[in-house]
Amino acid sequence: MIVALACCAGLAFSTAEFASSQNILNLIAQAAPLILVSIGQMIVILVRGLDLSVGSVVSLTTGILSLNVPVYVSVPAVMLAAAAIGLLNGISVTTFRVHPIIATLSMMGIVQGVTMFVRPSAGGMVPPEILALVSGRLLGIYMPVIWVIVAILVAWKVVHGSRFGLHLFAIGGGETAGTFGIAEQRNVLAAYVLSSCFAAVAGIFLAGRIVSGDPNIGTQYAVDSITAVALGGTQLAGGIGSLHGTVIGCALLAVIANGMNLLNVSAFIQTIVKGLILLAVISLQPRKTIGL
Amino acid sequence: MNRLSNLSRAALRVPPSYVVFAVLLVTLWAMRPNLMNVAILGTFARQVVPLGIVVLGQLLVISSRSIDLSAGGVILLVNYLISSGLLYDWPVCLVILLCLGVGLSVGLANGLLVGKRRASAVIVTLALNIILIGLVEYLANGKPPGDVPKYFRELYNLRFWTLPAPVIFWFALAGLMSAFLGRSVFGRFVWSIGSNPISAHFSGVPVERTVVLAHTICGLMSAVAALVQTSSIAVGSVRFGPELVMNSIAATILGGVVFGRPALVWGPFVGVLCFALLFVVMTTMGVQEPGKLIAQGLIILLAAIFYGVRSKSNS
Repeated sequence: MIVALACCAGLAFSTAEFASSQNILNLIAQAAPLILVSIGQMIVILVRGLDLSVGSVVSLTTGILSLNVPVYVSVPAVMLAAAAIGLLNGISVTTFRVHPIIATLSMMGIVQGVTMFVRPSAGGMVPPEILALVSGRLLGIYMPVIWVIVAILVAWKVVHGSRFGLHLFAIGGGETAGTFGIAEQRNVLAAYVLSSCFAAVAGIFLAGRIVSGDPNIGTQYAVDSITAVALGGTQLAGGIGSLHGTVIGCALLAVIANGMNLLNVSAFIQTIVKGLILLAVISLQPRKTIGL
Repeated sequence: MNRLSNLSRAALRVPPSYVVFAVLLVTLWAMRPNLMNVAILGTFARQVVPLGIVVLGQLLVISSRSIDLSAGGVILLVNYLISSGLLYDWPVCLVILLCLGVGLSVGLANGLLVGKRRASAVIVTLALNIILIGLVEYLANGKPPGDVPKYFRELYNLRFWTLPAPVIFWFALAGLMSAFLGRSVFGRFVWSIGSNPISAHFSGVPVERTVVLAHTICGLMSAVAALVQTSSIAVGSVRFGPELVMNSIAATILGGVVFGRPALVWGPFVGVLCFALLFVVMTTMGVQEPGKLIAQGLIILLAAIFYGVRSKSNS
């Protein structure tokens, strides 16, 4: 939090453009997909899981939306596909006791393959309805801002305002959740489904931004979302975390990327900085057990 | 009844890679009998040698309940060092030593962060991978690097009888690793951490030190794989990280090593051979890149599910 404020202050002084309203709106639009994906990622991490397939779900979503199909067909299709992917992830983790990393890593490969069938290279047209949902204003407020606010409100209700959310924390907290009458399996399944669905919504938003499909657009989101969640103070070992932390984590990453762009830092150096941040954050989270 | 269940349990103990390998071999034999000779299969095997060497390290970390996703970055960096022309006037031994040193230090960094700092292995190795890739891209400035020195090529194309030299090297390295794990105290430590890290700790196994060492060896293996990979391509290539890492995990799991199962070398070894055959079979069947990705994912998932079901039936 303090780091975030310091970064903002530093950037506001060092570059003239940073504090301009146009740039701040850009910043929100840039951060929106990451916020959406990270919220889903956090829900899975709370139950001691990890979802590496979110990136390819984002790509698949933009791929399907760019197929020139009416919106009332493609959007439900995308959401159904995402829910199915999440369900399969959840089933392999709970019923078949596959390690979350293995389950979602293999799912990442499968979904990426399907995406390349649907859309082998970037292109296609996204229906105008989705464009309208992403650009422009509603009641004088920019659409990306509305997306972020709605997503945060929904997620707040799910994570901090419902019995389901409470159960997520309980399951992540320890082995004993089951003995207190919490249906562990069902809740973990739901967490994976939610994660995939949030990724699909992020994909819809991105499709509206780039106005086409791209089989590789989601690649970075798996790592970025984990970084943001960890940066926001959520323990990767599960059970501890907060929605506002995750949102701040995303905002911080976006600010850093935006600032480096304004300062004309090479894209490759930006990659290195991102990796270093991830490494630093994770090293500050010691756990009881060694391993994954 | 009892005998039958004993038999089925014994059948379940066979690594899935053996079964998959047999199935693939029969498929290939049925479809393209003319491909079934040692020289041709040797050439196919040669293509997966880098993967096979990465797997030798990966199986060590996976059986000590960790994971290494940084092999791609190490390979990229080593490849860049050799093919960029920076070290053209250095003697060969020094270049190779430097490359191995890169692998060792990346592995050591992984190991220290995972073992001593107790940070999440996935994230640590992922982050190091990102840093290495960014570093290489920054150094190369987006351009593909230049040529690989000639002696690397010649070494790679060498054949003894009909078997390619890299395949023999891989086989020897696997044998060495197998003997090392079977005989050394370190091998015993890895096995005991694999079966139960908590009881290993209370039995006096230096868990931290073993994990650090396993990661270091894994980094070294990545560097060795990088040397082979570099000699296999005439010019430096820029992209082969992600598939290689995913395949190395897949082959390890296929070979019967999953988080918390003892390290065995030959199961994963055959797992890598499966991948060599799989690519041949799919190419002859006309399956494109997306189909290959899907098949790989399905193989990992099914092998992992197989273990999940098995460990449940045992308990």
